[in-house]
Amino acid sequence: MRRSRFPLIVCILGMLFFYLPILVLIVNSFNASRFSTVWGGFSLKWYALLFQQDDVWHALRNTMLIAVSATTVSMVLGTLAAFALHRFHSRLQDAHYTLVYTPLVMPDILMGIGLLLFFAALRIPLGLGTIFIAHVTFCVSYVAMVVLARLQDFDFSIVEAAQDLGAGPWTILWRILLPLLAPGILAGGLLAFSLSVDDFVITFFVSGPGSTTLPIKIYSMIKYGKPPLINALSTLILCVTFLLIWVSQRLREKRA
Amino acid sequence: MKKLHLRMLTTVLAGVLMLGCAKKPLTLHVFIWSDYIKPEIVQSFEQKFGCKIVLDYYDSNESMYAKLKAGGGGYDLVFPSSYMVNIMQRQDMLQPLDHAKIPNIQHLDPAANRFTMDSNHVFSVPYMLGSSGIGYLTSKVPDFKPTWRMFGDPAYKGRMTLMNDYREAIGAALKALGYSLNTLDTNELVQARDLLIQWKANIAKFESEQYKNGLISAEFLLVHGYSGDIMQIMEENADIAYVVPEEGTSVALDEIVLLKQAPQPELAHAFINFLHEPEIAAQNIEFVYYLCPNLAAYELVSDEVRNDPAVFLPQNIMDKSEVVWDLGENNALYSHIWDEVKGAE
Repeated sequence: MRRSRFPLIVCILGMLFFYLPILVLIVNSFNASRFSTVWGGFSLKWYALLFQQDDVWHALRNTMLIAVSATTVSMVLGTLAAFALHRFHSRLQDAHYTLVYTPLVMPDILMGIGLLLFFAALRIPLGLGTIFIAHVTFCVSYVAMVVLARLQDFDFSIVEAAQDLGAGPWTILWRILLPLLAPGILAGGLLAFSLSVDDFVITFFVSGPGSTTLPIKIYSMIKYGKPPLINALSTLILCVTFLLIWVSQRLREKRA
Repeated sequence: MKKLHLRMLTTVLAGVLMLGCAKKPLTLHVFIWSDYIKPEIVQSFEQKFGCKIVLDYYDSNESMYAKLKAGGGGYDLVFPSSYMVNIMQRQDMLQPLDHAKIPNIQHLDPAANRFTMDSNHVFSVPYMLGSSGIGYLTSKVPDFKPTWRMFGDPAYKGRMTLMNDYREAIGAALKALGYSLNTLDTNELVQARDLLIQWKANIAKFESEQYKNGLISAEFLLVHGYSGDIMQIMEENADIAYVVPEEGTSVALDEIVLLKQAPQPELAHAFINFLHEPEIAAQNIEFVYYLCPNLAAYELVSDEVRNDPAVFLPQNIMDKSEVVWDLGENNALYSHIWDEVKGAE
């Protein structure tokens, strides 16, 4: 029997759909023209220009600082929240679930304005600190939801077996729960990281003087700036990401 | 003994405080569009005044206003468009400027005063002036005439675009008819509507963003757009020209304002004054390619820029041009007409 070609075609189309935009972006970062529809010849001018733009790098630094710290904190808080939601069932936990769930469905603009009004009422000076708090607020929900899904499939008889064999709560946490939940926590963390990196609306409202992040910088370039710079920056970030993945795979192979 | 200790403590404390001050230079916080100021100007101000300038960015007048209004603070200077200056002033968000600290205000071009409601500069000082007009391919539109009526020319049917912005598009039709683009006269508006419906049948579409790509790739031959946008694509394609129709057009004036809660009003005044040093203003015009309305700077820009109608509007056209004002409740008159145009076959 001949195998159907259909899955292959779907696969190719899917790959094109996902990766073609990234490819176009990389190609355009070498485009001398600032408009993506015209090919103005090969050029490295956007890269040259990029390295003269201190404010773009400053914005990138802010973005990374917030993304890394907000992700780390929300991974801890989100995992704790997921444990509590899975373990205990009471009316209070129902309220807790709603609270954790709400940021997923709430429009960004409401959250941005709401947080800004809140910070303004408490007279908290706006800056990287308030962006951090805001990002943790929505990142926690994503981590908690992903970890909760993993806990639902979790075989708790392993924990009982460990208890039978005399393991204390710390041993169980470090040797059993965390290693088994790690993929879920990591997946939630990655989701939180990417959401934090590209958040514009909430960040715009809660940012203060000197805390411009990359998305804010890019949006504000629309009127007078040179957005193709961002193609060059994205290409560099992609290269770094691939390099990191390659190195980590090499290390894993060596260990195995 | 105890007294001595106390005195020592206060001396040390005062010393620490003073050190702290000396170490930390004053910082001016500016809220502005990205790339709207030449970076070297910022650096030379920092050197001259021994301070630091931190630039933060917004992407529209409206989002800037929403943020400041909701309590986002800490900024000294903001660069809103003139209609927004008016709104911010009514909302009591601005503080009056001390003209004694801005001697360069004497260089301001009085022609720009028509484009602001604050023509005595009580709260605002003009920063940059831009216009909307027509960009076209000189080789493909040989019989170009500098008039809005080009959009009715059947020779270019289906190859032109008008901006997809109700005030800009209706404004073009009003100007073609010789009326004010802020008119409240229903008769004039009805005439503009009929003209715009005629144009609609002749153009490709209403388009505010893709007209730039369309003109470069010669998909469109003639487009209605902002001077700054069309200047950017002229760098790519030497065949493109920008012209402001002789009937006049809409202009946008961005101004500098000092916020009521500004932490550094002294430094802010100094910066406004610095931006209007003729030499600095001239450099800034050549960098951002908009017109800083500073008469003394006009003499200092290169001839190429001086003769560019995209930057320097001819006086007779300037006199016929206007700012698109926020008409409050009367905006509905325009949106109603726009619905009729959009719905027309």
